[in-house]
Amino acid sequence: MELLFSNLAHGFGVALSFDNLLFALLGALIGTAIGVLPGIGPVATISLLLPITFGQPATTAIIMLAGIYYGAQYGGSTTAILLNLPGEVSAVVTTLEGYKMARNGRAGAALAIAALGSFFAGSVATILVAASGPLLTEVALSFGPADYFSLMLLGLVISSVLAQGSVVKSVGMVVLGVALGLVGTDVQTGQQRFTFGIPELSDGLNFAAMAMGVFGIAEIILNLERPEVRSVLSAKVGSLFLTKEEWKRATPSVLRGTILGSALGILPGGGASLASFGSYMMERKMARGKAEFGSGAIEGVAGPEAANNAAAQTSFIPLLTLGIPSNAVMALMVGALIIQGIQPGPRMVESQPDLFWGLICSMWIGNLMLLVINLPMIGMWVKLLQVPYKYMYPAILTFCAIGVYSINNNVFDVYQTVFFAVLGYVFAKIKMEPAPLLVGFVLGPMMEEHLRRAMLLSRGDPMVFVERPISGVLLAISALALGLMLLPGLRKKKEAAMAG
Amino acid sequence: MRINAKDLASGLLLVVLSIIGLWLNTEHTLGSARRMGPGYMPMLVFWLEFGLGAIVLVISLFSGADPLEKWTKVDFVTLALAIAATLVAYPLLAAVPALSGNWYALGLALVIGLGVLAVSPGWRKLALILAGMTVFGILLDQGGLFLAIAAMVVVAALAEPEHRPIGVLGTVIFLIVLCWWVFIHELDIRVSVWPNF
Repeated sequence: MELLFSNLAHGFGVALSFDNLLFALLGALIGTAIGVLPGIGPVATISLLLPITFGQPATTAIIMLAGIYYGAQYGGSTTAILLNLPGEVSAVVTTLEGYKMARNGRAGAALAIAALGSFFAGSVATILVAASGPLLTEVALSFGPADYFSLMLLGLVISSVLAQGSVVKSVGMVVLGVALGLVGTDVQTGQQRFTFGIPELSDGLNFAAMAMGVFGIAEIILNLERPEVRSVLSAKVGSLFLTKEEWKRATPSVLRGTILGSALGILPGGGASLASFGSYMMERKMARGKAEFGSGAIEGVAGPEAANNAAAQTSFIPLLTLGIPSNAVMALMVGALIIQGIQPGPRMVESQPDLFWGLICSMWIGNLMLLVINLPMIGMWVKLLQVPYKYMYPAILTFCAIGVYSINNNVFDVYQTVFFAVLGYVFAKIKMEPAPLLVGFVLGPMMEEHLRRAMLLSRGDPMVFVERPISGVLLAISALALGLMLLPGLRKKKEAAMAG
Repeated sequence: MRINAKDLASGLLLVVLSIIGLWLNTEHTLGSARRMGPGYMPMLVFWLEFGLGAIVLVISLFSGADPLEKWTKVDFVTLALAIAATLVAYPLLAAVPALSGNWYALGLALVIGLGVLAVSPGWRKLALILAGMTVFGILLDQGGLFLAIAAMVVVAALAEPEHRPIGVLGTVIFLIVLCWWVFIHELDIRVSVWPNF
């Protein structure tokens, strides 16, 4: 316990340095902005800002990128409540009750509980990350190569099982991601694989080009093909203060949302949007008969908003302690760390204390900033929506192009982005979820290394994966998860939950 | 039996990619399970992908109709012509000594292909956005950052019919100033700003 406090004190020391505070604020501001704006999400934003962070120290870079992710959770709720327009996927359920509350003249209360609930959930989740980090790290250090392989496999399985749409297709996308990760020099023999003699490919496909192409550029094209939806602010914000009755109803929802969100965030493949859907379902079940669900129940805003922010924070736990990304945003964080020369894994807590504790403390500070950014300045954020998309997309395109070029100062990376944009466009047209692709791409090379090491140690006996207890249990869970999803009943339930 | 066209296409994509992968992988030594060579993991991955693609294909035959967007005749023709133009132009351009460095041949071939693609209204937005980005790549080294940004924004702006010249001009100026400040002044990336012909 004492150690925890001294570590946290160290972390606050790091997080409160001028640069780190500035970039936490910048991340939170950018996050809020893209949360408000529909048509650009955290994955696209983080990938397009990835190259900009190379010049910064690793801690500062990760602090800013993290700020974008949880900042987007705050921003997404604002437009969901005021305009019935979810800026983020995780804010879709907030429109259900939040917009109704706004129509009933309680927009201020909905915004206030969304921000306060998020802040509370974010604080709890931060403590959870701090407490569980060193614990899990200890467990992870006893892992052998076989255990690691199985753990990553579990991560891949669960992230595809929980992805939207067909399970087989998302497993296919994960495997395709792993396949794309094979391009480049084979680490053990130095042989070039799938490089077609192109020297630029010997280090593998460019991760940022892939993320920007599939998420950033492809999204621009798809947005242009859809007619722009104009929305006008119809409801007045009104008083931000909650009535006593509203407090009484919202508090337990926030608590439940925090717990559920924290749990779903840790899960590989989980994350903010799953947590908010889950929490909404739970609140609707709990309130059956009591509250006016569907016509502006505050529980339906408080729970999901707390849940998505809690999950955004706790999804850092598997990344920081095991080095395993649980969703596409975390895959981008792995990319950012690797480019900085840091191999994510259980040794990170000890070898990079500044990064680990600094990030945790900055998350809490960032949440505090967001509370201030959001509540009094709501009017300004809503104004952002008046910027037409036709002026936004050239800016996104320009930032992508310059950013991807600046990584290696090579125009080949610009053409790679064009290639991945085509791929991303095709994926969207045939309904293949691109998020698992990124996770597979990041995990693939690590899995290959652990697989080869494990098989070398076991003298070529694949039974090692079943016989080692940790690995065996992890594999059993993966098999169970896959098996359960093949049951039609459960699949329908998932679809219902995803559809909100 | 109602065929799900989107799933059918997904399955085909996975199967075709895995076959290409398996074929390319024949040049790598497999090794044994104990001492895996460079080709072992790719073999596992591509067989798995092949299997998954096959399952998606089978499921698509029974999972109910989900048609793809309708393609017009022009869409088909321009797509085929665009691919052909790129494939023909690339080796021809690569043979020109002046274009051999800096991937100029690839960039120009892509622009030609995307230009053909932009003829059909169905592909226009896709083609123009990507052409803008490619033009940026071609111009950056010799033309400098400002010219590259201006050309990219102008080409990309053609993708949105609502754009007016004055608005595009404003966007270009705004983005040049913003990018100068972020990338040159703050981040100091190594790229020439003005043309150096």
